[in-house]
Amino acid sequence: MGLLAGKRVFSIMALCMMVSLLLLPIVVALPSLAIGEEAPAGDAAKKDGDKVEKGRDVYYKTEGIVVGAPAPKTVDGPRDYPRYNFESRVLLWFANQQHLYYGSFVLAVPIFCMIIEFMGVVTKDKALAKRYDQLAYDFIKISLTAYSLTAILGGILIFTFLTLYPAFFSYLSGIFRPVMHIYALMFVAESGTLYIYYYGWDKMKEGFLKWIHLSMSVILNIIGTLLMFLANSWIGFMMSPAGVDEQGRYLGNIWHVIHTALWNPLNLHRILGNMAFGGGVVAAYAAYKFLASKTDEDRAHYDWMGYIAMALGVAFLIPLPFAGYWLMREVYAYRQQMGITLMGGLLAWLFIIQATMIGILFLSTNYYLWQAMGRMRGAEKYQRYIKYLVFILACGYMVFITPHTMVMTPAELKAMGGQQHPVLGNYGVMSAKNGGINVIITTTVLSFVWYMRGNKVSTVSWAKFGNIFMGIFFACAYFNIIFLAVYGYYIPANVRVGLSVPQVATTLSCLFFMFALNSVMMKGAKQLGPIEWGKISARSQYALIMLATAFTWMMGLMGYIRSSVRLFWHVNEIMRDNSPWAYTHTVGFAANMISFNVLFFWITILFVFWLGSLGAKKVPVESKAGIPGSIPQPIASH
Amino acid sequence: MKALMSLGALIGVAGLLLLGGMVLDVVPSTYIRLVEGYMPIQMLLEVACYVIGFTGLSYTLNAMGMAIPRFWQGIGFWVFFLLYLKYRMYPPIPFSVRAMYGTVSLVAVFMWVSASEEDWQKFKQPIMNVLDAQTGGNRLLRYLYLVLLPILIGGFSFNAMMPKSEEPIELRTVHPAPPASTKVHGKTYTLQTSQNPYRVNPEGKYDQEFSNANIVEQGMGRLMKPNANPWDDKNQGYLKYVREGGEIFYQNCHFCHGDNLNGRGLHAFAFNPIPANFTDPGTIAQLQETFIFWRVSKGGIGLPNEGFPWASVMPPWEQHLTVDEIWKVVLFEYWHTGYYPRTWD
Repeated sequence: MGLLAGKRVFSIMALCMMVSLLLLPIVVALPSLAIGEEAPAGDAAKKDGDKVEKGRDVYYKTEGIVVGAPAPKTVDGPRDYPRYNFESRVLLWFANQQHLYYGSFVLAVPIFCMIIEFMGVVTKDKALAKRYDQLAYDFIKISLTAYSLTAILGGILIFTFLTLYPAFFSYLSGIFRPVMHIYALMFVAESGTLYIYYYGWDKMKEGFLKWIHLSMSVILNIIGTLLMFLANSWIGFMMSPAGVDEQGRYLGNIWHVIHTALWNPLNLHRILGNMAFGGGVVAAYAAYKFLASKTDEDRAHYDWMGYIAMALGVAFLIPLPFAGYWLMREVYAYRQQMGITLMGGLLAWLFIIQATMIGILFLSTNYYLWQAMGRMRGAEKYQRYIKYLVFILACGYMVFITPHTMVMTPAELKAMGGQQHPVLGNYGVMSAKNGGINVIITTTVLSFVWYMRGNKVSTVSWAKFGNIFMGIFFACAYFNIIFLAVYGYYIPANVRVGLSVPQVATTLSCLFFMFALNSVMMKGAKQLGPIEWGKISARSQYALIMLATAFTWMMGLMGYIRSSVRLFWHVNEIMRDNSPWAYTHTVGFAANMISFNVLFFWITILFVFWLGSLGAKKVPVESKAGIPGSIPQPIASH
Repeated sequence: MKALMSLGALIGVAGLLLLGGMVLDVVPSTYIRLVEGYMPIQMLLEVACYVIGFTGLSYTLNAMGMAIPRFWQGIGFWVFFLLYLKYRMYPPIPFSVRAMYGTVSLVAVFMWVSASEEDWQKFKQPIMNVLDAQTGGNRLLRYLYLVLLPILIGGFSFNAMMPKSEEPIELRTVHPAPPASTKVHGKTYTLQTSQNPYRVNPEGKYDQEFSNANIVEQGMGRLMKPNANPWDDKNQGYLKYVREGGEIFYQNCHFCHGDNLNGRGLHAFAFNPIPANFTDPGTIAQLQETFIFWRVSKGGIGLPNEGFPWASVMPPWEQHLTVDEIWKVVLFEYWHTGYYPRTWD
């Protein structure tokens, strides 16, 4: 008893010490924050004979003491733009994108681990708890090697900046000087926590220590999220600078520099995007392992793993378009030109490609769910209705991807009689597209509801009423979304923009209310048969791989769009890009470059998967014949 | 249920006959008119009717013991949809869009026929039969495919590589991002905040709601609202300026932009691309009034870098009209099309 209490005290002390150590970098950096505000001001005052120069914040419109140098006016030459015999921008693009892929992955996976480990801790069923624990461990194992690669790619990125864009990087690091070391030290904290979390898994698997272990995952994720927020502040600053005057001189308020107009929407969008991407990559890993499995037991485990990863990824994918919508709204509010360049002008074609990718994500998800219903006895009753869901999805998708200005030959243009098609041109505007995507998401929710009740029959007394209510609810939701999409053509633009709120509200009501109602109805439901894990078609696994590839491609695309919208600015309206590459690439070149980045990422992540499998092979695995319908058991110990 | 399915089958057969007539050029595409104002939703409803019709047809044929194999159902629906886009829709849809829709519908057909294992087996059975070539007919088909497929692919490749004499496709930025401000007749206008000075009520005060209430009705015919006739001499404020804008429009702009502001003026087809169609919901309805003011003032030569390839012959109207005249023309364009200018509040 005494020993147990001693262990508890020791572990609490260890956790407190860890938290203190993690906070240390911030505390150490605090004086530098203060110095960052005052010391240069003091220097400036000395130089100008006690005269303090003040500047006006370009965004916050507040006055501040000038403490930084103006943004350099670069010229094309070896001093500002040294180069190899290759386009520097493309090299930077590659380094940045690879770092971002891995960064997103290693930030997302620990969040999954935290959720799954928590589910394992609170689940009363011991076998299920063990499965969750094994799954969380499998997840973190995958991310560990990826973590080292992220750090290496981060180093490569910084060297690329220093070598090819020294003037720009020097300016940016000068602006962010007060938080630069916090960022670096937080990386140390992140690494330390991750290693303790991973290597302490077995030692802390029981009782109170498990809670301590779980707490570490919370800390790990807090650090990871803060790291990402800091990185986001740089791109936020480049797009919508604040905290500097018109010449780009730092005005001493680091919060203004960080908290720019687009920082918060970027943060939200990136958290959701990372999670959806992480889920996609883990699902692809599970699909790859499923397809390569030799035993039914392995297939059952990886089928289950793929399902959980997909469900987590899609849970974050569903709100992602709404977060994107908020980001675009803020972009328009910040600079109308930027918004038009993105969605109506130079980059509008890329948004059509983006819509195509979003559609692929949702189509793949639906397809996977329909395939997954094949491993449940009793789900056959839904199969004959799937064709109608396909029709609804296809209609929504076609509306969603229709360009307003179509690609056509001059002969086609003349035959059509104008730049816009009188029928299909109407699908090219926002009102129709909002309707299209909301129809797609609502259909995905419906597929999920069908999946959740696939092998069950509700036993509650009001089951019939509940089913009718759910049917009417979905029908009304579709009607409302489509009605608002049509109505949007007849009202002023500012009101039309507001219509997206009831449309989104309708979709989200379906999501939350229908899920909740379905859960209540299915509580204690009669099971028509077990879920036969592993008995799923190979097509479903290709759908998961498709899902992950589409995520990767879309991330590359959106990163390119976000970066390109600055056009010929390093820092929008503050520091001009005077390199020979200050032009926007053609759509074809950008698409090829994104595809190359995607291919490179998948080749390297396959290497990471392979490394992970090397460790697993060392553990002897009993080759047992799988029992159809049995719960998948952990395939290896850690 | 049976009666409903029979009704569906009837719709399906009627639809197929109609489309067949259009493909063979016996029935014009305009036989069933696409009603202006409802065209986009009409197209979706038509396709939905076809889907219901085909479901009924399939059910009825199944009940009669003449079930269509799943393979041919899938291929048949896809071919139907391609023909529908090509022959039913008018004006003709550009190939790029038909290719997009064709790909989506192909994916949709695949999702449908492979949604369950049973359906997938049914669908791929004829393909497997040909590959296995257990019968003489299948063996012949397999040899045919062996010869025809490379020829087909070769033909496509040859066609794709062959130099074309027609003008190449040019991606064009129709609405380039506007500058933050524009200078017209010596005065600078900030595009995000400027307002049309003639959008005023009879008392002369700026009144967006008053002007919005007096624009023409959208939809069929674009009719004027009762008591909102700009050509009534007694009108003051907004409607009076709409009339003045209309006069300027018909003296200067309608030759290209057309009597109905649909981009089909007398000279429209001399240009490539033809002038902007203001009745389309994607042109002025999407933009701030100040954007139109900037475009009208600066014309084609004032397009920014982003407006590549600067394919506009519109003159810079600031050289021919006063600032007031430009604002009035813009006012008229919104009134006539029944659209509200974009605002950001």
